[in-house]
Amino acid sequence: MSNRIEQVLKKQQEQQKAPSESEIENVIQLVGFMVGEEEFAVPILGIQEIIKPIEYTRTPKTPPYVLGVFNLRGSVLPLIDLRMKFGLSRSKENEDTRYMVIKHNDEVAGFVIDRLTQATRIKESAIDPAPETLNDDQNFIYGVGKQKDKLISILNVEALLKRDF
Amino acid sequence: MDEFQEILEDFLVEAFEMIEQLDNDLIELENSPDDLDLLNRIFRVAHTIKGSSSFLNFDVLTHLTHHMEDVLNKARRGELSITPEIMDVVLESTDKMKALLDHIKETGSDEGAIDVGPTVKRLEAIFSGEKASEESRPQAAEPEPAPEPEAEEKELSEMSEEEVEAEIERLLAQRQEEDRRRREAKKAQQEKEAVLMPAKEEKSPASKPQKKVESKPAPKERKTTVEQTIRVDVKRLDDLMNLIGELVLGKNRLLKIYDDVEERYEGEQFLEELNQVVSSVSLVTTDLQIAVMKTRMLPIGKVFNKFPRMVRDLSRELHKEIELIISGEETELDKSIVEEIGDPLVHIIRNSCDHGIELPEERVAKGKPAKGTVQLKAYNEGNHIIIEIVDDGKGLDADMLKMKAVEKGLISEKEADQMSDKEAYMLIFKPGFSTAAQVTNVSGRGVGMDVVRSNIEKLNGIIEIDSEVGKGTTLKLKIPLTLAIIQSLLVSVQEEYYAIPLASVLETVRITPDEIQSVEGRSVLRLRDEVLSLVHLADLFDVERVFSMGEHAYVVIIGIAETKIGLIVDSLIGQEEVVIKSLGEYLKGIEGIAGATIRGDGRVTLIVDVGALMDMAKSVKSSMQNLEDNLQKGEKSSPEDYNILVVDDSKTDRSIMKRALEPLGVTITEATNGVEALNLMKDGSKSFDAALIDIEMPRMDGYTLAAEIRKFNKFKMVPLIAVTSRTSRSDRMRGVEVGMTEYITKPYTPEYLMNVVARNINLNVLEHMS
Repeated sequence: MSNRIEQVLKKQQEQQKAPSESEIENVIQLVGFMVGEEEFAVPILGIQEIIKPIEYTRTPKTPPYVLGVFNLRGSVLPLIDLRMKFGLSRSKENEDTRYMVIKHNDEVAGFVIDRLTQATRIKESAIDPAPETLNDDQNFIYGVGKQKDKLISILNVEALLKRDF
Repeated sequence: MDEFQEILEDFLVEAFEMIEQLDNDLIELENSPDDLDLLNRIFRVAHTIKGSSSFLNFDVLTHLTHHMEDVLNKARRGELSITPEIMDVVLESTDKMKALLDHIKETGSDEGAIDVGPTVKRLEAIFSGEKASEESRPQAAEPEPAPEPEAEEKELSEMSEEEVEAEIERLLAQRQEEDRRRREAKKAQQEKEAVLMPAKEEKSPASKPQKKVESKPAPKERKTTVEQTIRVDVKRLDDLMNLIGELVLGKNRLLKIYDDVEERYEGEQFLEELNQVVSSVSLVTTDLQIAVMKTRMLPIGKVFNKFPRMVRDLSRELHKEIELIISGEETELDKSIVEEIGDPLVHIIRNSCDHGIELPEERVAKGKPAKGTVQLKAYNEGNHIIIEIVDDGKGLDADMLKMKAVEKGLISEKEADQMSDKEAYMLIFKPGFSTAAQVTNVSGRGVGMDVVRSNIEKLNGIIEIDSEVGKGTTLKLKIPLTLAIIQSLLVSVQEEYYAIPLASVLETVRITPDEIQSVEGRSVLRLRDEVLSLVHLADLFDVERVFSMGEHAYVVIIGIAETKIGLIVDSLIGQEEVVIKSLGEYLKGIEGIAGATIRGDGRVTLIVDVGALMDMAKSVKSSMQNLEDNLQKGEKSSPEDYNILVVDDSKTDRSIMKRALEPLGVTITEATNGVEALNLMKDGSKSFDAALIDIEMPRMDGYTLAAEIRKFNKFKMVPLIAVTSRTSRSDRMRGVEVGMTEYITKPYTPEYLMNVVARNINLNVLEHMS
């Protein structure tokens, strides 16, 4: 009896192990979103949460892309407009606008994005490093993910959260 | 945790506590060398540390304390009288002991760091200098309340194994006894560990002492520890403080909601109940906040303790006679402040001893007693603690200070002429300023006092100096009790709110724009007999100007130390207790901003950094004039320039209104609900001259919309016209309350609507009709 249980358990374990191992090895889950006309993505593990726009307070003496600070359940977080950060005009808030709260180590900040697209899984082998020409002073792009019909720029969470003023 | 580690930590905590007391006792001993109680107490400290350190295998420390013990023991038996020279050596060895303990704390070992050789030699010399030593006798003749010194007098190496064993047991029993008192809660667990231990570690005690502990009464030697206390990790207290902060925010929010509800449902039965709940929650929160704050409080005596020793050393070094009188050492303040306040006080006291107090001959010649006094006083005053350092030395000479400052190029001659005496005294806090004719070991490098000021300012504190030539100097430090929660004054500038720490606010005045005068291109205000330089907060923080200054503005006079400026703001909101939140790594150190807080309505309000603000004020140009030009642009030339917002969820109703307004020729924008309308208004791409608002709407009704719009200062004057089929009186009342300008009930005639709109936007109907 106990022998059989063991066998069943063993089998189950093997089944669980087999597929997941290969997946963990080379698949990254990404959350895609639009900023301006371009689609970007960040690894899902870097995202703390995504919220609808709420009120924020302007902070003086900061670059224009730092819109201000907002209150997320008792924590005061900076709010950064990704459009302006990427050199586009300031976002107009609409129904699709979201604040994406991104976390890396102890650093947390909210980023204004125009629209969420979709969550995707992408094989690590399908990610190319950012082209040299893009790779200038500010290293926001971690890599370019190739999908069937399009390319998607994967952002470097750490670089996004780095203060550069 | 490792058992050894735990014992080690207990040992360190205990040792540092004892040493703190030791310094003071030693100084006192010098004054009354025959005080046996005192001698015994000192002896016991050396003895206990020696015992524990030998148990823990700290050979260097044992070696040192053993010799200290020898000398002290001799003094205790009356075979040696304590002279200042002997005292110097004893104090020196105490310092070495501290250094060793620090080293142990950091590295866990006492080896290699500090050379105790010379000190030990000197101790030996004192010991043998008087008489050939009889090997220290175990039992002193005096009544010994403590049981400690009994057993252990022999060098550890001389002991037989059993003796070592016994010694360990005794020490352990003693330690555990203290532990037991200290940590009742942990007791059970600890015993269990103690029983398990001997199997693993040879040096550890057998389980025997446990029994002893139970039977032996607590030694009475240190009465103070009999108080019921518990040691808590500071981190836990910090966490607790953060939680309380959240609670205070919640309370503020509740109060705010209550105010809103009260306005809306005045006279209703449930209000009374709500009021009771809200007030009791708010009371309890306040009490809780105070209680938690108290757990973080330490007596300032912790800092004061080291000063008698310091002053003693200084007076010997400087060949002066100085007496330090301490009072109010039981005054408590937050741990984080206690830690920060030490250094500034060291500098100030050194300064008083070095520059303030004169040499004995000088003092006698001036008819003062040869012995100078420095008083160190602490007391509470409201939410602040005041620390006063008073010396009866030569005092500060304002003219001399000014001269020096001009000489060193710190201020101009003109500035010097305008300076009051008090301002002149503050010069000593300028970097690079030193009045000492020559640099001594003690002070005069011109860094110290500058550091003092920046440290005190960091604590949101204020420094005041008062002095009289020949009589002495009084330095007064005013420091808030805690750093996490502060009283603040909320002000608004255009659409933005800022919190100013109330401790830095001296007063507020209401002014009219023509009271602002201009001197050399800077705005100033004549206030009583002073001329105050003014700066607009909007200029400092580049606030977007959306409306011009009204009939009145307010000036918040802020001051640090002796400098003050007037900050122009548009209105004062009131006083509020705020919890300081950090802005995080990303936004750390924005100029002029000290932190943020969350208000009752959930919005974030920034807290200004008064010190930085005053620096910024120096380089800001007023932009008041520019505003007028901008306003000129808004001139309307034709009816199309007028923009009317029509808010209604029914398409038919919107069409009816549009048609009614058609004859006016104004531009019309439509919104289908309150949220959309509010976004259109906030958006700012169009500025609306009036809004027609339906009351019943999805997502956000007309009342709420009107109230939201009125929250913005720039929309305070926009006519809001309610168009609704609600006709009851209470509906109308509510309309007025939330800020509706007009109230039109359906059905209405198109002409009536048109006329109301035209009247509200000052458009001449007839003229444009024709």
